[in-house]
Amino acid sequence: MGADGRRPEEYLYDRRKHNCFRWLHLRLTLFPYPRRQKRKTRRETQAAAGSRPNACKQMPTREWAMNCFLKTGIAAGILTLSAAGAFAGNGDTLKTVKQRGELLCPGHNGSYLGFAETDDRGNWKGIDIELCRAIGTAILGDPSKVRIIPLSWEQRWPSLQSGDVDIMIKASGGTLSRDTDLNMQFSNSYYLGTTRVLAHKELELESLKDAEGGTICVMAGTSQEKQLTSYLQQIGIEMEVVAIERTSELEGAYFSGRCDTYIQWGPVLAVSRAASNDPEAHVMLPDIVALEPSVMLMRQGDDNWVDIANWTLSALLFAEQEGITSENIDEMKANPPTVEVGKFLGATPGMGAGLGLSDDWAYNVIKKVGNYSEIFERSLGQESPYKMDRELTALWKDGGVLFPYIID
Amino acid sequence: MTTIPFWRRKKIRRQVLQGAFLAAIAAILIIGATTAQRNLSAQGISSGFGFLWRATGWEMGTSLLRTSPGDPYWWFIFNGILNTLLMGFVGLFCATLLGLVIGLARSSKNAPARLLGTIYIEIFRNIPLIVQLFFWYAVVTQLPNPRNAIQIGHVMLTGRGLHFPGLNVTVLSAVVAIAIMIAALFVILWIAVARRFGRVESARRRLLGLGVLVTGILGAAVALSWGRIPETPLVSLPELRGLNIRGGFQLRPEIYALAFAITVYGAAYIGEIVRGGFKSVGRGQVEAAQALGLSPWRVFSRVRMPLAVRAMLPILINQYVWLIKATTLGIAVGFSDFFMVIAGSITHSGQTLELIGILMAGFLIINFSLAAVLNRVNRAIALKGKQIGVAQ
Repeated sequence: MGADGRRPEEYLYDRRKHNCFRWLHLRLTLFPYPRRQKRKTRRETQAAAGSRPNACKQMPTREWAMNCFLKTGIAAGILTLSAAGAFAGNGDTLKTVKQRGELLCPGHNGSYLGFAETDDRGNWKGIDIELCRAIGTAILGDPSKVRIIPLSWEQRWPSLQSGDVDIMIKASGGTLSRDTDLNMQFSNSYYLGTTRVLAHKELELESLKDAEGGTICVMAGTSQEKQLTSYLQQIGIEMEVVAIERTSELEGAYFSGRCDTYIQWGPVLAVSRAASNDPEAHVMLPDIVALEPSVMLMRQGDDNWVDIANWTLSALLFAEQEGITSENIDEMKANPPTVEVGKFLGATPGMGAGLGLSDDWAYNVIKKVGNYSEIFERSLGQESPYKMDRELTALWKDGGVLFPYIID
Repeated sequence: MTTIPFWRRKKIRRQVLQGAFLAAIAAILIIGATTAQRNLSAQGISSGFGFLWRATGWEMGTSLLRTSPGDPYWWFIFNGILNTLLMGFVGLFCATLLGLVIGLARSSKNAPARLLGTIYIEIFRNIPLIVQLFFWYAVVTQLPNPRNAIQIGHVMLTGRGLHFPGLNVTVLSAVVAIAIMIAALFVILWIAVARRFGRVESARRRLLGLGVLVTGILGAAVALSWGRIPETPLVSLPELRGLNIRGGFQLRPEIYALAFAITVYGAAYIGEIVRGGFKSVGRGQVEAAQALGLSPWRVFSRVRMPLAVRAMLPILINQYVWLIKATTLGIAVGFSDFFMVIAGSITHSGQTLELIGILMAGFLIINFSLAAVLNRVNRAIALKGKQIGVAQ
């Protein structure tokens, strides 16, 4: 018997009255209350002690603390899981963007030169960023209403799926598995890059076929890895493949001579070569291993959102085709040369309603961002440090494969 | 006194509590998995393990068994596991040998040896493993190109790898032959050392050992001839042809850069463990052994070493498990280990959750088996109950 006349097992019972969820006004006990017989004993005990023992003043034991800890943990786990179950549905991205007043786009880590890079004052530039600004302008009328979120390659699909960004413009190719397994929707392609091969000049290779038995560096986990495999089968040679995951180590391996050749997406390869110690010591082989059409990717299930992306791209190309630039657009709007251009610039109505945008959206895009040619030249072309040619990415009338849809 | 009902009995209460706890964890896991499944299918992302039987479409850099782009994901993952095991085995073996030398140097009476050991440990223990790996990789890839190879006899060393004469046999048969030879050597060692053979006369023992050796060599020869690649000479010598060195056996620089880094880094830690083990051997035991007139070598091999190993083993197990996990750094230099194959598969197939699951399960099994085996050894050599306490 204890000092207050209770038996040892009744101390145990009182400890249960330390309900650790009392502060939450919840009663969650793992044990059943004692049966009548025990309750009777308790009443007797209380009578003997004169008053109900104040359970809260007893020192909590380790066992009690463990119980409390476990219960809290389990409850917290269940709450978190049920919260995670609810996430934003698809189908109303435009509404979300308008409400937020901001379009969320991915950046790279700021070093994807020509596509998504930051200058020395931290401003984003590059073709991916400009396209994002064009879409932002089409919706919100202002290219500054765009927020760039830096994302790594691994983060891009989860970020898009979870709604961290509204659209994925990150030099990404359209592939079957991205369409069907990851369930995404593509825009038309806005850039056509080819996969090329760089080689040490001293090897005097005419084409990749001469590199039979040699070594080739490739970035692990990219589509070039698969393209290389099928290209080697096509030309019927065998090569030793060295796949490395980090760009800096990969380039280090090629430039130090671990590999004879280096396969990479053309624009990236051109930039690497230009940035190397001795660009003249490396030649771009004439092989065109594969074509990788870069597309904008969106979550499945929002057709209007895909239309907006496609028609913004079309507007950039249409303006280039019709010779409308950010300089001459106001003259064009005052005296539209054709009915088509008049409608395009919002002089006559009908341009925006079907998309859920204002009629002057295309005017805003061209006026504030520029047409496709202006975007390309300042990101990758002659006004940029990379001085790249348009090649396939030119308009159809200049020998390329890009074209706008018809504004009727 | 009334009998205590079952829910108040301490033992039953504890078991119920633990059962409830396990059930709660299981429930959380199941809820998590079903929620993930539901959310993924709501977004239309396909899940499940069906992709494991799809062709990968990319090349695996290094593999023990033959792989081609048409092989399914599971075959690549299996080869990745083999690579990790190989690297783990080589790394652990070399790190243990080097660590033993370093540890002995650190605890020797010779001052220069102690100093050298200290310098080694302070250098290699305090630089992160990945930095050391990049350093060794840079060193081995800066070696001359194949046309200007460093050549000693038929062994050639270039920035592309180490080339030495090899046999024109399949890799599998070579592995089998080596395994047979190692097994034979172990049996011979067993015959020479084990107490069970102590009663057998030494002449007969020698004959038995010779028999095992001959059987081993014959077995290896059979394995090699079974794996011969037809219409090629038996020995293939490395020689420069075109851009690269062909023929012979090539060891890629990624492999030895990683093995070297793991060995050098692991040895620094193992050296300290070895030193601690020797420190723990009481002076009394050593003095007793010396008093018995044992030679210094016998004092070392029969008294100090066994006692030190007993003290070292539990910490070594930890270190071994850690070193196996360190092989995942191979991804940084392009060694296709388990981790790199999984990482590649994730970006190619997009089946992140499943592949991460496979990765975790794989490492769990590898490290758990290693720890289980070593723990068994530890239990076998640990002091038994009656040996502890006051000498009788």
